Amino acid sequence: MEQQRPNRLTGFITLCALVFLFAPLVVVVLFSFHSTNALTPPFEGFSLRWYDEVLSDRTIREALLTSLKIASLTSLATLLCGTAAAYGITRTQARVRGLYASLFVIPIAMPALILGVALRSFYVDRGISLSTTTVVIAHTVFVIPLFYVVAQTALGRIEVAQLEAAADLGAPPWYRFRRVILPEVLPVLLAGAAMAFVISFDEFIVTFFVIGNDSTLPMVIFSRLRRVIDPSINAISSLLLFLNLTIWLIALLYSLRVQRRRRLDQLAQKEDVL
Amino acid sequence: MKKDLQKRASRVSLLVATPPAVLMLIFFFAPIVVIAIFSFQTGENFVIGEPWTTGNYDSALTLGVNRTMAWNSIVTGFLTAGVTVGLGLPIAHWLRFSAGRWATPVLSLVVASMFAGYLVRIYAWRTILGRNGVLNSALESANVIDEPLEFLIFNRTSVIIAELHLALPFAIVILYAAMRPIRPDLLEAADDLGAGPIVQWTKVVLPLMAAPMASAWMFVFIISSSDFVTPQFLGGPRGQLLGTQINRYFREAGAYGKGGALAIVMILFYALLYVGIQLILRKLKLNRVEWG
Repeated sequence: MEQQRPNRLTGFITLCALVFLFAPLVVVVLFSFHSTNALTPPFEGFSLRWYDEVLSDRTIREALLTSLKIASLTSLATLLCGTAAAYGITRTQARVRGLYASLFVIPIAMPALILGVALRSFYVDRGISLSTTTVVIAHTVFVIPLFYVVAQTALGRIEVAQLEAAADLGAPPWYRFRRVILPEVLPVLLAGAAMAFVISFDEFIVTFFVIGNDSTLPMVIFSRLRRVIDPSINAISSLLLFLNLTIWLIALLYSLRVQRRRRLDQLAQKEDVL
Repeated sequence: MKKDLQKRASRVSLLVATPPAVLMLIFFFAPIVVIAIFSFQTGENFVIGEPWTTGNYDSALTLGVNRTMAWNSIVTGFLTAGVTVGLGLPIAHWLRFSAGRWATPVLSLVVASMFAGYLVRIYAWRTILGRNGVLNSALESANVIDEPLEFLIFNRTSVIIAELHLALPFAIVILYAAMRPIRPDLLEAADDLGAGPIVQWTKVVLPLMAAPMASAWMFVFIISSSDFVTPQFLGGPRGQLLGTQINRYFREAGAYGKGGALAIVMILFYALLYVGIQLILRKLKLNRVEWG
């Protein structure tokens, strides 16, 4: 066990930061249960009326479905393209390798605003009409670079010797990928896909520039923020928070389970050897 | 035989990476080229075309409102990034060296706070800082003030507070990840040699953390200075950033040329800033500090 170095000052700063990070969220969730339409103290009574209103609102339900659809497709497209990119680039020895990698690394530094206006201009220029498809494409190119970094780190840890052994035994590339690489990195890839889902589900700035007549949930929240001020926004916000946290918890529990199983496997192998 | 196999595997791998690379070229890089082209063309009201001109750059660089907002963006970005990294560093330090078994739960809380939506945060700060917001009503009911405080919202500070709230978890995670490889022995050695906390920070921690701090700073600078939604709800007339203007050109006025020029100027500024920071790090020999 490493020795700890108690430090009151940095501990105090951390505590303040946690309060700063969570106080606003607590206020939002608390007043989503408010019985009146006031957003500030005093808290006059508990009620679920805002959840009721939000969940029975047709625009919100449609937007929720659109958002789920976009986030699912984005997550799937990111998983496929991002994995292909990270796998190909880690394995190749071609001279263009660095160039390929930069196609996925440079975009990380690009702000969402720039991608949004650039894609909008591109769609306009090419005469492509804006729709949920244009949003999925936008979200996918927005998230792939992040996914790429995560996946590439995991793929880089795989031992080349293992792959060479498989190749020597005559395993073709696809088989090697499926039986040697995939089991090793699948948890990381799925965590990346979950990350893509959550980012897409919450994405506003890029969406704002490339969406047509449909509306995603963040778009609805945005237009409500400009028009109405009542706890219905708190209710939508709280629902989003719970949904995101649930996805995160599932991903966390899954990866913990995989890690435990892997440890048990290793233990079993050791016993076999003995 | 083996070499052949490797060569083939290398070629197959390149082939696998090609479709996603093409996707990025078409839908990420080509669009940037399109705005670069638009920025040299003329047009209003969602129409753009010839004649070619450099007028968009003239207006981007000289128009009063553009200059004001660009300056606001730079100041807001500098302050937000500075405060965020300044707070993130001691927090990462605490998590790494002092937290013990509290490190995992606290880090999980920090990560969980990332899941609060982007618009949700903006909304939360509006309900807290607003004229009839939580802070004002709390102060009024405690009889500290008679009239609501007007300076809490609709200025640069309220924008920076919301941006800090957005960026701090990212900065903590980046800095903590960078601090993990630093072994506590290093600080113990410093203890043994009689170095106090200030010397330990300036001679041990900061040199090792300079490069990741620069990355975190740049990251926060970019997301906060390019934001246009937070200023829209919290910035008031004096807290608007360059993004506000770019959004106006693209979505409201349909002036793709002028908007494109501003966007290109923004990208170039970020690129220059990045190169500048790297040069400074290299000059100070802090770009690649090794730990034992």
